[in-house]
Amino acid sequence: MGMPVRVRVPGGAGAHALDELFAWLRFADATFSTYDPRSELCRLNRGELGLGDAHPLVRDVLARCEELRAATDGAFDVRAPLPGALDPTGLVKGWAVERAAGLLERAGARRFLLDAGGDVVLRGGPWRVGIRHPRLAGRLAAVLELSDAAVATSGAYERGAHIVDPRSGRPAAGALSVTIVGPDLGTADAYATAAFAMGGRGPGWTATLAYHEAMTILEGDRVLATPGFVDLCAGPTIAASVGAAA
Amino acid sequence: MRRALAALALTAAAVVLLARYETHPPAKPPPPDKRAPAPPKPGLRAGTGPLVTTPFSSIQVRAELTRGRLTGVRTIALTGADAHTNEINARAEPILREEALSAGSADIDVVSGATYTSESWIASLRAAIRAARRG
Repeated sequence: MGMPVRVRVPGGAGAHALDELFAWLRFADATFSTYDPRSELCRLNRGELGLGDAHPLVRDVLARCEELRAATDGAFDVRAPLPGALDPTGLVKGWAVERAAGLLERAGARRFLLDAGGDVVLRGGPWRVGIRHPRLAGRLAAVLELSDAAVATSGAYERGAHIVDPRSGRPAAGALSVTIVGPDLGTADAYATAAFAMGGRGPGWTATLAYHEAMTILEGDRVLATPGFVDLCAGPTIAASVGAAA
Repeated sequence: MRRALAALALTAAAVVLLARYETHPPAKPPPPDKRAPAPPKPGLRAGTGPLVTTPFSSIQVRAELTRGRLTGVRTIALTGADAHTNEINARAEPILREEALSAGSADIDVVSGATYTSESWIASLRAAIRAARRG
Protein backbone atom coordinates (compact mmCIF):
# COMPACT_ATOMS: atom_id res chain seq x y z
CA MET A 1 0.00 0.00 0.00
CA GLY A 2 3.00 2.19 0.59
CA MET A 3 1.33 4.77 2.76
CA PRO A 4 0.71 5.52 6.41
CA VAL A 5 -2.60 4.65 8.00
CA ARG A 6 -3.81 7.04 10.66
CA VAL A 7 -6.17 5.90 13.38
CA ARG A 8 -8.32 8.12 15.57
CA VAL A 9 -10.25 6.47 18.38
CA PRO A 10 -11.69 9.28 20.53
CA GLY A 11 -12.93 6.83 23.14
CA GLY A 12 -9.62 4.98 23.20
CA ALA A 13 -8.80 1.44 22.23
CA GLY A 14 -6.69 -1.16 23.94
CA ALA A 15 -3.06 -1.37 22.85
CA HIS A 16 -3.73 -4.96 21.86
CA ALA A 17 -6.50 -3.91 19.46
CA LEU A 18 -4.18 -1.42 17.77
CA ASP A 19 -1.34 -3.94 17.59
CA GLU A 20 -3.71 -6.35 15.95
CA LEU A 21 -4.88 -3.70 13.52
CA PHE A 22 -1.36 -2.84 12.37
CA ALA A 23 -0.32 -6.48 12.27
CA TRP A 24 -3.23 -7.06 9.89
CA LEU A 25 -2.25 -4.11 7.68
CA ARG A 26 1.36 -5.36 7.56
CA PHE A 27 0.13 -8.80 6.59
CA ALA A 28 -2.04 -7.36 3.82
CA ASP A 29 0.84 -5.19 2.64
CA ALA A 30 3.30 -8.10 2.63
CA THR A 31 0.86 -10.39 0.85
CA PHE A 32 -0.23 -7.98 -1.88
CA SER A 33 2.96 -5.99 -2.36
CA THR A 34 3.87 -5.37 -5.98
CA TYR A 35 7.36 -4.29 -4.87
CA ASP A 36 8.44 -7.12 -2.58
CA PRO A 37 9.38 -10.06 -4.83
CA ARG A 38 8.57 -12.45 -1.96
CA SER A 39 4.90 -11.40 -1.76
CA GLU A 40 2.23 -13.88 -2.77
CA LEU A 41 1.10 -11.48 -5.45
CA CYS A 42 4.58 -11.27 -7.01
CA ARG A 43 4.98 -15.04 -6.86
CA LEU A 44 1.57 -15.40 -8.49
CA ASN A 45 2.53 -12.98 -11.25
CA ARG A 46 5.80 -14.83 -11.88
CA GLY A 47 3.89 -18.11 -12.17
CA GLU A 48 5.62 -19.58 -9.09
CA LEU A 49 2.37 -19.78 -7.15
CA GLY A 50 -0.87 -21.20 -8.49
CA LEU A 51 -4.11 -19.38 -7.70
CA GLY A 52 -5.38 -22.54 -6.03
CA ASP A 53 -2.40 -22.52 -3.67
CA ALA A 54 -2.64 -18.82 -2.87
CA HIS A 55 -3.98 -17.53 0.46
CA PRO A 56 -7.80 -17.63 0.45
CA LEU A 57 -7.83 -13.85 0.92
CA VAL A 58 -5.78 -13.44 -2.26
CA ARG A 59 -8.41 -15.42 -4.12
CA ASP A 60 -11.17 -13.33 -2.50
CA VAL A 61 -9.53 -10.07 -3.52
CA LEU A 62 -8.89 -11.15 -7.09
CA ALA A 63 -12.49 -12.41 -7.38
CA ARG A 64 -13.76 -9.07 -6.06
CA CYS A 65 -11.54 -7.25 -8.57
CA GLU A 66 -13.16 -9.25 -11.35
CA GLU A 67 -16.65 -8.30 -10.08
CA LEU A 68 -15.60 -4.66 -10.00
CA ARG A 69 -14.21 -4.85 -13.53
CA ALA A 70 -17.62 -6.03 -14.71
CA ALA A 71 -19.48 -3.45 -12.57
CA THR A 72 -17.38 -0.61 -14.00
CA ASP A 73 -17.55 -1.74 -17.60
CA GLY A 74 -13.78 -2.32 -17.60
CA ALA A 75 -12.83 1.09 -16.19
CA PHE A 76 -11.47 -0.59 -13.05
CA ASP A 77 -9.21 -3.36 -14.29
CA VAL A 78 -6.46 -4.93 -12.19
CA ARG A 79 -4.94 -6.41 -15.32
CA ALA A 80 -4.47 -3.00 -16.90
CA PRO A 81 -1.33 -1.47 -15.38
CA LEU A 82 1.10 -4.23 -16.32
CA PRO A 83 0.49 -6.46 -19.31
CA GLY A 84 0.20 -10.08 -18.20
CA ALA A 85 0.39 -9.24 -14.50
CA LEU A 86 -2.22 -8.48 -11.87
CA ASP A 87 -2.03 -5.34 -9.79
CA PRO A 88 -4.97 -5.26 -7.36
CA THR A 89 -3.45 -2.33 -5.43
CA GLY A 90 -6.45 -0.21 -6.41
CA LEU A 91 -8.70 -2.42 -4.30
CA VAL A 92 -6.31 -3.76 -1.66
CA LYS A 93 -5.75 -0.55 0.29
CA GLY A 94 -9.45 0.15 0.83
CA TRP A 95 -10.26 -3.51 1.34
CA ALA A 96 -7.54 -3.92 3.98
CA VAL A 97 -8.50 -0.75 5.83
CA GLU A 98 -12.18 -1.71 5.81
CA ARG A 99 -11.26 -5.06 7.37
CA ALA A 100 -9.05 -3.24 9.87
CA ALA A 101 -12.16 -1.28 10.89
CA GLY A 102 -13.91 -4.59 11.48
CA LEU A 103 -11.10 -5.65 13.83
CA LEU A 104 -11.50 -2.47 15.87
CA GLU A 105 -15.27 -2.95 16.03
CA ARG A 106 -14.84 -6.50 17.27
CA ALA A 107 -12.47 -5.15 19.92
CA GLY A 108 -15.32 -2.97 21.17
CA ALA A 109 -14.55 0.40 19.54
CA ARG A 110 -17.71 2.16 18.42
CA ARG A 111 -16.54 5.53 17.22
CA PHE A 112 -13.35 5.79 15.21
CA LEU A 113 -11.77 6.97 12.00
CA LEU A 114 -9.18 5.29 9.78
CA ASP A 115 -7.40 7.46 7.24
CA ALA A 116 -5.30 5.79 4.58
CA GLY A 117 -3.78 8.61 2.58
CA GLY A 118 -7.04 10.48 2.16
CA ASP A 119 -9.29 7.43 1.80
CA VAL A 120 -11.33 7.18 4.95
CA VAL A 121 -13.41 4.71 6.96
CA LEU A 122 -15.74 6.24 9.56
CA ARG A 123 -17.52 4.43 12.36
CA GLY A 124 -20.03 6.18 14.53
CA GLY A 125 -20.31 9.89 14.07
CA PRO A 126 -21.07 12.38 12.93
CA TRP A 127 -17.64 13.15 11.49
CA ARG A 128 -16.82 16.17 9.39
CA VAL A 129 -14.94 15.16 6.25
CA GLY A 130 -13.31 17.76 4.05
CA ILE A 131 -12.92 16.96 0.37
CA ARG A 132 -9.62 18.28 -0.89
CA HIS A 133 -9.84 20.86 -3.63
CA PRO A 134 -8.24 19.31 -6.71
CA ARG A 135 -6.38 22.46 -7.75
CA LEU A 136 -5.98 24.70 -4.72
CA ALA A 137 -3.55 23.36 -2.12
CA GLY A 138 -4.92 23.51 1.39
CA ARG A 139 -8.44 24.33 0.25
CA LEU A 140 -11.51 22.20 0.51
CA ALA A 141 -14.04 21.71 -2.25
CA ALA A 142 -16.74 20.47 0.11
CA VAL A 143 -17.36 19.42 3.68
CA LEU A 144 -19.48 16.37 4.42
CA GLU A 145 -21.10 15.35 7.66
CA LEU A 146 -21.07 11.57 7.81
CA SER A 147 -21.55 8.61 10.12
CA ASP A 148 -20.72 4.95 9.45
CA ALA A 149 -19.43 5.45 5.92
CA ALA A 150 -16.39 5.20 3.69
CA VAL A 151 -15.08 8.07 1.57
CA ALA A 152 -12.63 7.69 -1.30
CA THR A 153 -11.29 10.40 -3.58
CA SER A 154 -9.34 9.82 -6.77
CA GLY A 155 -7.61 12.63 -8.54
CA ALA A 156 -4.67 13.45 -10.74
CA TYR A 157 -3.11 15.49 -7.94
CA GLU A 158 -2.29 12.49 -5.78
CA ARG A 159 0.77 11.14 -7.55
CA GLY A 160 0.78 12.85 -10.88
CA ALA A 161 -1.47 11.43 -13.58
CA HIS A 162 -1.56 8.02 -11.97
CA ILE A 163 -4.88 6.79 -13.27
CA VAL A 164 -4.86 5.39 -16.76
CA ASP A 165 -8.06 4.50 -18.57
CA PRO A 166 -7.54 0.77 -19.13
CA ARG A 167 -9.61 0.89 -22.27
CA SER A 168 -7.52 3.56 -24.01
CA GLY A 169 -4.20 3.08 -22.19
CA ARG A 170 -3.98 6.86 -21.79
CA PRO A 171 -4.15 9.01 -18.66
CA ALA A 172 -7.73 9.82 -17.79
CA ALA A 173 -8.80 13.26 -18.97
CA GLY A 174 -11.73 15.46 -18.17
CA ALA A 175 -12.08 14.96 -14.43
CA LEU A 176 -9.94 16.62 -11.76
CA SER A 177 -11.23 14.50 -8.91
CA VAL A 178 -13.97 12.05 -8.05
CA THR A 179 -15.24 11.45 -4.53
CA ILE A 180 -17.39 8.45 -3.67
CA VAL A 181 -19.25 7.91 -0.40
CA GLY A 182 -20.46 4.40 0.31
CA PRO A 183 -20.65 1.56 2.79
CA ASP A 184 -17.29 -0.10 1.93
CA LEU A 185 -13.94 1.61 1.33
CA GLY A 186 -12.56 -0.94 -1.15
CA THR A 187 -15.62 -0.58 -3.35
CA ALA A 188 -15.77 3.20 -2.96
CA ASP A 189 -12.10 3.48 -3.91
CA ALA A 190 -12.53 1.24 -6.96
CA TYR A 191 -15.59 3.21 -8.06
CA ALA A 192 -13.73 6.50 -7.64
CA THR A 193 -10.81 5.16 -9.70
CA ALA A 194 -13.19 3.91 -12.37
CA ALA A 195 -15.25 7.12 -12.53
CA PHE A 196 -12.05 9.15 -12.77
CA ALA A 197 -10.83 6.98 -15.63
CA MET A 198 -14.15 7.51 -17.41
CA GLY A 199 -13.52 11.26 -17.52
CA GLY A 200 -16.55 13.20 -18.73
CA ARG A 201 -18.69 10.08 -18.73
CA GLY A 202 -17.90 9.45 -15.07
CA PRO A 203 -20.56 11.59 -13.39
CA GLY A 204 -23.37 9.97 -15.37
CA TRP A 205 -22.07 6.56 -14.42
CA THR A 206 -21.80 7.42 -10.73
CA ALA A 207 -25.45 8.47 -10.75
CA THR A 208 -26.40 4.87 -11.57
CA LEU A 209 -24.69 3.40 -8.48
CA ALA A 210 -26.99 2.13 -5.75
CA TYR A 211 -25.99 2.89 -2.14
CA HIS A 212 -23.27 5.31 -3.26
CA GLU A 213 -23.13 9.08 -3.56
CA ALA A 214 -20.61 10.88 -5.73
CA MET A 215 -19.10 14.23 -6.58
CA THR A 216 -16.99 14.80 -9.68
CA ILE A 217 -15.02 17.98 -10.20
CA LEU A 218 -14.39 18.40 -13.90
CA GLU A 219 -11.86 20.55 -15.69
CA GLY A 220 -13.04 24.15 -15.49
CA ASP A 221 -14.13 23.52 -11.89
CA ARG A 222 -17.51 22.28 -13.01
CA VAL A 223 -18.97 20.18 -10.20
CA LEU A 224 -21.42 17.38 -10.77
CA ALA A 225 -22.74 15.66 -7.65
CA THR A 226 -25.52 13.21 -6.99
CA PRO A 227 -28.44 14.76 -5.09
CA GLY A 228 -27.70 12.50 -2.13
CA PHE A 229 -24.14 13.81 -2.02
CA VAL A 230 -25.36 17.39 -1.80
CA ASP A 231 -27.63 16.34 1.09
CA LEU A 232 -24.52 15.12 2.96
CA CYS A 233 -22.79 18.47 2.58
CA ALA A 234 -22.42 20.67 5.63
CA GLY A 235 -22.40 24.44 5.31
CA PRO A 236 -22.01 26.17 1.96
CA THR A 237 -22.93 24.31 -1.18
CA ILE A 238 -20.25 22.53 -3.16
CA ALA A 239 -20.60 24.81 -6.16
CA ALA A 240 -20.15 27.93 -4.06
CA SER A 241 -17.08 26.57 -2.36
CA VAL A 242 -15.25 25.87 -5.61
CA GLY A 243 -16.50 29.04 -7.24
CA ALA A 244 -18.29 27.47 -10.15
CA ALA A 245 -21.81 26.60 -11.14
CA ALA A 246 -22.73 22.94 -11.00
CA MET B 1 -14.71 17.66 19.09
CA ARG B 2 -11.90 15.72 20.59
CA ARG B 3 -8.92 15.18 18.38
CA ALA B 4 -7.44 12.34 20.28
CA LEU B 5 -5.12 10.10 18.35
CA ALA B 6 -4.21 6.56 19.06
CA ALA B 7 -1.06 5.77 20.98
CA LEU B 8 2.27 7.23 19.95
CA ALA B 9 3.63 3.81 19.22
CA LEU B 10 0.94 3.53 16.63
CA THR B 11 2.31 6.41 14.66
CA ALA B 12 5.76 4.92 14.72
CA ALA B 13 4.31 1.64 13.57
CA ALA B 14 2.62 3.35 10.68
CA VAL B 15 5.84 5.01 9.68
CA VAL B 16 7.62 1.67 9.73
CA LEU B 17 4.84 0.25 7.59
CA LEU B 18 5.32 2.79 4.88
CA ALA B 19 9.07 2.73 5.22
CA ARG B 20 9.23 -0.84 4.10
CA TYR B 21 7.85 -0.04 0.69
CA GLU B 22 9.66 2.16 -1.71
CA THR B 23 6.76 3.00 -3.94
CA HIS B 24 8.30 5.98 -5.62
CA PRO B 25 12.04 6.08 -5.05
CA PRO B 26 13.54 9.44 -5.89
CA ALA B 27 15.58 9.67 -9.07
CA LYS B 28 18.78 10.83 -7.42
CA PRO B 29 20.50 9.92 -4.16
CA PRO B 30 19.97 12.26 -1.20
CA PRO B 31 22.49 15.06 -0.84
CA PRO B 32 24.72 15.22 2.24
CA ASP B 33 22.88 16.90 5.05
CA LYS B 34 24.81 19.87 6.39
CA ARG B 35 22.28 20.75 9.09
CA ALA B 36 22.03 17.32 10.66
CA PRO B 37 23.91 16.93 13.94
CA ALA B 38 26.10 13.89 14.57
CA PRO B 39 24.31 10.93 16.13
CA PRO B 40 24.19 11.74 19.86
CA LYS B 41 24.27 8.19 21.15
CA PRO B 42 25.57 4.78 20.13
CA GLY B 43 23.23 2.60 18.14
CA LEU B 44 21.48 5.58 16.63
CA ARG B 45 21.84 6.19 12.95
CA ALA B 46 20.30 9.08 11.11
CA GLY B 47 19.71 9.83 7.48
CA THR B 48 18.23 12.68 5.56
CA GLY B 49 16.03 12.47 2.50
CA PRO B 50 16.34 14.73 -0.52
CA LEU B 51 14.56 18.04 -0.67
CA VAL B 52 11.32 17.19 -2.41
CA THR B 53 9.56 20.07 -4.09
CA THR B 54 5.95 20.36 -5.12
CA PRO B 55 4.14 23.22 -6.81
CA PHE B 56 3.44 24.52 -3.31
CA SER B 57 6.24 23.59 -0.95
CA SER B 58 9.64 22.00 -0.35
CA ILE B 59 10.12 19.31 2.25
CA GLN B 60 13.10 17.44 3.63
CA VAL B 61 12.75 14.70 6.21
CA ARG B 62 15.34 13.35 8.64
CA ALA B 63 14.91 9.82 9.99
CA GLU B 64 16.58 8.40 13.08
CA LEU B 65 17.00 4.67 13.50
CA THR B 66 17.99 3.04 16.75
CA ARG B 67 19.24 -0.49 16.26
CA GLY B 68 17.41 -0.64 12.94
CA ARG B 69 14.07 0.62 14.24
CA LEU B 70 12.66 3.97 13.27
CA THR B 71 12.68 6.00 16.46
CA GLY B 72 12.39 9.57 15.28
CA VAL B 73 11.31 11.60 12.29
CA ARG B 74 11.81 15.31 11.83
CA THR B 75 10.79 17.56 9.00
CA ILE B 76 13.83 19.78 8.63
CA ALA B 77 12.77 21.97 5.75
CA LEU B 78 9.37 23.00 4.65
CA THR B 79 8.81 26.11 2.62
CA GLY B 80 5.99 27.54 0.57
CA ALA B 81 2.28 27.50 1.19
CA ASP B 82 2.62 25.11 4.10
CA ALA B 83 5.58 26.81 5.74
CA HIS B 84 3.71 27.15 9.01
CA THR B 85 3.97 23.39 9.38
CA ASN B 86 7.67 23.70 9.89
CA GLU B 87 8.30 20.80 12.17
CA ILE B 88 6.59 17.48 12.51
CA ASN B 89 7.75 15.02 15.10
CA ALA B 90 6.37 11.60 14.34
CA ARG B 91 6.57 10.55 17.96
CA ALA B 92 4.24 13.27 19.12
CA GLU B 93 2.13 14.24 16.13
CA PRO B 94 -0.04 12.52 13.58
CA ILE B 95 1.95 11.58 10.52
CA LEU B 96 -0.09 13.61 8.15
CA ARG B 97 -1.28 16.99 9.16
CA GLU B 98 -4.28 18.12 7.31
CA GLU B 99 -4.65 21.83 7.60
CA ALA B 100 -8.25 22.86 7.19
CA LEU B 101 -7.74 26.33 5.77
CA SER B 102 -11.20 27.14 4.45
CA ALA B 103 -13.32 29.45 6.50
CA GLY B 104 -15.90 27.58 8.51
CA SER B 105 -14.11 24.27 8.28
CA ALA B 106 -11.86 24.57 11.29
CA ASP B 107 -13.38 21.51 12.91
CA ILE B 108 -12.72 19.13 10.05
CA ASP B 109 -11.92 15.64 11.32
CA VAL B 110 -10.23 14.35 8.19
CA VAL B 111 -9.60 15.26 4.56
CA SER B 112 -10.39 12.91 1.70
CA GLY B 113 -7.89 13.18 -1.14
CA ALA B 114 -4.15 13.06 -0.57
CA THR B 115 -2.10 16.23 -0.48
CA TYR B 116 1.08 17.30 -2.16
CA THR B 117 2.53 17.84 1.28
CA SER B 118 1.92 14.32 2.48
CA GLU B 119 3.13 12.77 -0.76
CA SER B 120 6.41 14.68 -0.69
CA TRP B 121 6.86 14.06 2.99
CA ILE B 122 6.52 10.32 2.45
CA ALA B 123 8.93 10.39 -0.50
CA SER B 124 11.56 12.24 1.51
CA LEU B 125 11.07 9.99 4.54
CA ARG B 126 11.63 6.85 2.48
CA ALA B 127 14.89 8.25 1.17
CA ALA B 128 15.91 9.37 4.67
CA ILE B 129 15.41 5.86 6.02
CA ARG B 130 17.46 4.39 3.19
CA ALA B 131 20.20 6.90 3.95
CA ALA B 132 20.10 6.04 7.67
CA ARG B 133 20.32 2.32 6.91
CA ARG B 134 23.37 2.91 4.76
CA GLY B 135 24.77 4.73 7.78
